[in-house]
Amino acid sequence: MGLTNTPSDLLPGTLELLLLKTLVSGAKHGYGIVEHLRLTSDDVLRVGESALYPALQRLLFNGWVKGEWGTSENNRRARYYTLTAAGRKQLAAERAEFDRMIGAIQRVLGTT
Amino acid sequence: MKTLFHRLLHLLRWSRHGADLREEIETHRSLRQEALERDGLGADEAAHASRRAIGNVPLAIEDAREVWTLRALDHTRQDVRDAVRGLRKSPGFALVTIVTLALGIGANTALFSIFNSLIMRPLPVRDPGSLALLTDGSWSYPVWQEIGARADDLFDSAFTWADQSFDITQGGRPIPVDGAYVSGRFFDVLGVPASRGRMLTPADDTAAPPNGPVAVVSHRFWREHFGGADDVVGRQLTVLIQRQRFPFTVVGVMPPGFSGVAVGRTADVVLPFAAEPLLEGRDSALPETGQSWLEIMVRLKPGQTVEHANAQLRTVQSQIREAVLPGLRGNPAFAARYLTDPLTLVPAAAGASRLRRQYGTPLFAMVVAVGLVLLVACANIASLLLARALARRGELTVRLALGASRWRLARLLFLESLLVAMTGAGVGLLFAKWGSALLVRQLGNWERTVSLDLALDWRVLVFTATLACLCAITAGVAPMFALKSVTPGEALKSAGRAIAGDRRFAVRGALVVAQIAVSFVLVIAAGLFLRTFASLNQLPLGFVPEPLVLVDVNLFASGIPPAERGARLERLRNAAEVSGVRSVALSQRRLLTGGGWFTNNLVAVGDGPMLPEDRRQRVWRNATTPGWFDTMGIPLRAGRDFDDRDRVSSPPVAIVNEAFVRRYLSDGQPIGQTLRVNSDEGPRYEIVGVAADAVYTTPRDGMLPTMWVPLAQREPREWNSWRNVILTIKAAAGQRALIERNLATALTQADPTLVFRVGTFDEMLAATMAQERLVAMMSGFFGALALLLAGLGLYGIVVQAVNARRTEIGLRLALGAQPTGIVRLVFRRLGVLIVAGLALGLAGSWWAARFVAPLLYQIEARDPMTFSGTAAVLVGVGLLAAWVPARRAARLDPATVLREG
Repeated sequence: MGLTNTPSDLLPGTLELLLLKTLVSGAKHGYGIVEHLRLTSDDVLRVGESALYPALQRLLFNGWVKGEWGTSENNRRARYYTLTAAGRKQLAAERAEFDRMIGAIQRVLGTT
Repeated sequence: MKTLFHRLLHLLRWSRHGADLREEIETHRSLRQEALERDGLGADEAAHASRRAIGNVPLAIEDAREVWTLRALDHTRQDVRDAVRGLRKSPGFALVTIVTLALGIGANTALFSIFNSLIMRPLPVRDPGSLALLTDGSWSYPVWQEIGARADDLFDSAFTWADQSFDITQGGRPIPVDGAYVSGRFFDVLGVPASRGRMLTPADDTAAPPNGPVAVVSHRFWREHFGGADDVVGRQLTVLIQRQRFPFTVVGVMPPGFSGVAVGRTADVVLPFAAEPLLEGRDSALPETGQSWLEIMVRLKPGQTVEHANAQLRTVQSQIREAVLPGLRGNPAFAARYLTDPLTLVPAAAGASRLRRQYGTPLFAMVVAVGLVLLVACANIASLLLARALARRGELTVRLALGASRWRLARLLFLESLLVAMTGAGVGLLFAKWGSALLVRQLGNWERTVSLDLALDWRVLVFTATLACLCAITAGVAPMFALKSVTPGEALKSAGRAIAGDRRFAVRGALVVAQIAVSFVLVIAAGLFLRTFASLNQLPLGFVPEPLVLVDVNLFASGIPPAERGARLERLRNAAEVSGVRSVALSQRRLLTGGGWFTNNLVAVGDGPMLPEDRRQRVWRNATTPGWFDTMGIPLRAGRDFDDRDRVSSPPVAIVNEAFVRRYLSDGQPIGQTLRVNSDEGPRYEIVGVAADAVYTTPRDGMLPTMWVPLAQREPREWNSWRNVILTIKAAAGQRALIERNLATALTQADPTLVFRVGTFDEMLAATMAQERLVAMMSGFFGALALLLAGLGLYGIVVQAVNARRTEIGLRLALGAQPTGIVRLVFRRLGVLIVAGLALGLAGSWWAARFVAPLLYQIEARDPMTFSGTAAVLVGVGLLAAWVPARRAARLDPATVLREG
């Protein structure tokens, strides 16, 4: 069970992008986000708590997501995160930036 | 901005934030555990695995929280906590430093507040920088009329005012109120708007004002007298003169903070000059060319300098002076000088103040002195912090070894001193508030209330804050020096083995030398001022003040018609004879007011010529009833006292004092000679007696030529302009307090409408020396404080030196050194510091001496006695400070010390 991803494993800013994207489909708590990322990436992306929570705090701090307390599946208090309007805008911007970056990388790799 | 707000909001809910995160992560973990259990793991194993997977929770929380804070901010919080903890561990150190700083900062703020509000603070008016005051002294109304008529040509504008006390009625009783007469454009030129109603206008300052007699009142007076009523405009204010009531309509309230241009005196009721003839009737001073009672200020044109304005003024000076000359024709010598004496304007952004003239120099001296005290305090604190840092070397080194950055440690030390400085400044501010109020009370006396606006303004605040920060930095820098020389390797070695010689002592040594030098200067100053006060106190007064009680009767407010005054005053004199009274006498003037009634002009003896007036050698005058000399305890050297034979109808007589005889009658027998005063037309006074010398104005002025005439011979016409008469009452031994208690009742019974004040002569005597007493008191306090601080500093360094050299001293003792030798060893080192400090202090005092010279009396500013005495005191303090630790060192048990080492 290698749960070692830290932000440095990803391109800078990618974790935030993934988190924002994950929340598009609806409110999720931390564990839900992690599970969603794991399942949709076929077990490739495993985000550890030490990276997740500081990243979520950054999103909260910037006002891109909203946190609301609710009850988890096992009846514990959990914070559910939802995307804000500013978050959607940010997602679009980051996505564009990500595409530009990936395109650039592919072009570099494509040359011989 | 929003970001900062977010952060601050979060800091406020700090602990809540951490708990939330912890809970959130725990939920996360439990969900993972359940998932693992679903995958088939046992409960325990799942819990363990999920906990392991989650990693370092506190670190994750830390990281998550850090999003919200700046790292530095968080570290600072931690440093502050550490610093507080560090200080709480050594309460003695914290207490001494905080108290030292509080005294230093407090005394500075107190004095600076007074200095600021009395001397520096600009008037709260429009463009105070363009105001200028016509010097020197006061002016007559005709002079103002001449200048006022030309003001618009010469300057931008001009105005005049005269301080005046009014008696107004409140609930039927007359109460005295400080006020002023002002010219019509006073408020307009100053640019002071009304906070209610309107201010006075030129139309109000005419013989027939359109709205009748009007007045404006100060904001404070409005609150206190009218209870802050909204409908104050249009209300009546009744001024009482000679038992007549004059109603004035209040037309406006001055803005808060403005109470006239005379600093230290509040004008609560302001009337236009046109009201003066109304109130005074035939006694109006407005037409008098000889009565100088106005202050004149001008506002300069934009771009006009004071020099330029002076030049302008002097081109018309002769016209101004000529116009008011007719009243002075009888006196050609005086008139000639009057014409040529140049009119001079001086900048007056901070207003005008008699108080400032009296206290300006001493206050400045005290501000300097108190600044020096703060320097000593700072040196002491630096020294203390340095010693503390040295003592904490072990702890700091361990911190360094554990990976604290040097910068972080330096910051911790700096914060510690900043914390001390801030606390000290806070306590000091409280001390300042109390102290400055106390000082201002000292400036006032029984006939003058001093009101200074002591609200701490930004200048005082900046001043205090700068002082506190400077203290913190001075003190904070010193420990950093000490820290520099600590290397982690040295850390865990024992520090006790150091043998003599340590660079860090050099820093403290220099501080101690500076402390001694500054203390020396301060103690010298204290010595000089105390001796000045003592010599003034010991001056012969020429009369006996102890048994005397004075009653100052306000004839105007009492409403005694001039024709009845003789009889009414006689009745008062009888009424004052309560039990315990030896004798009662009346006089026109009271001694020791600092001023009085003098012949402005000339004196001639016999048929001789009029001697020209000498401003520095005025002839002072007084009028008394028979028995006054006996009551005052002034012996008659020759001739007789006044008696019942001296009446209006009998030939005018006079008594002169010995100083008068020395000056004007040095040849021949004074009794029987005749005098003319002021002009050749006046009466010829026959000298019937010679009184011993007595102080008339202030003890500092010494014995001045004085001439007395019988009160009974004062012409009724002259009674009109007399406002006050003084009842002097001599008490039998031990009866004074009793008389004071009964007197007021007895006088009110005899004359229910009487307005008067009762006081003892001692109180007045104290008031005449208020300035010297204040200076002596404060410099004594500061000198003692500096001495104490320097003593503490010395003690500290000796203790530290002895401790650092314990091993060496133990070794010496073990090798056979005598205890006296050890004491000598300690003293030798100290001696160098003391001698260096004294030499520096001596040089400083020698140089500074010329600045204090004007404040001294009968003592040289470089008085050898004071200098050598001070040196002896400082050496004494130094020896005392060194003696205790030196003795302790000499008594060390070598065996113990060597075993420790």
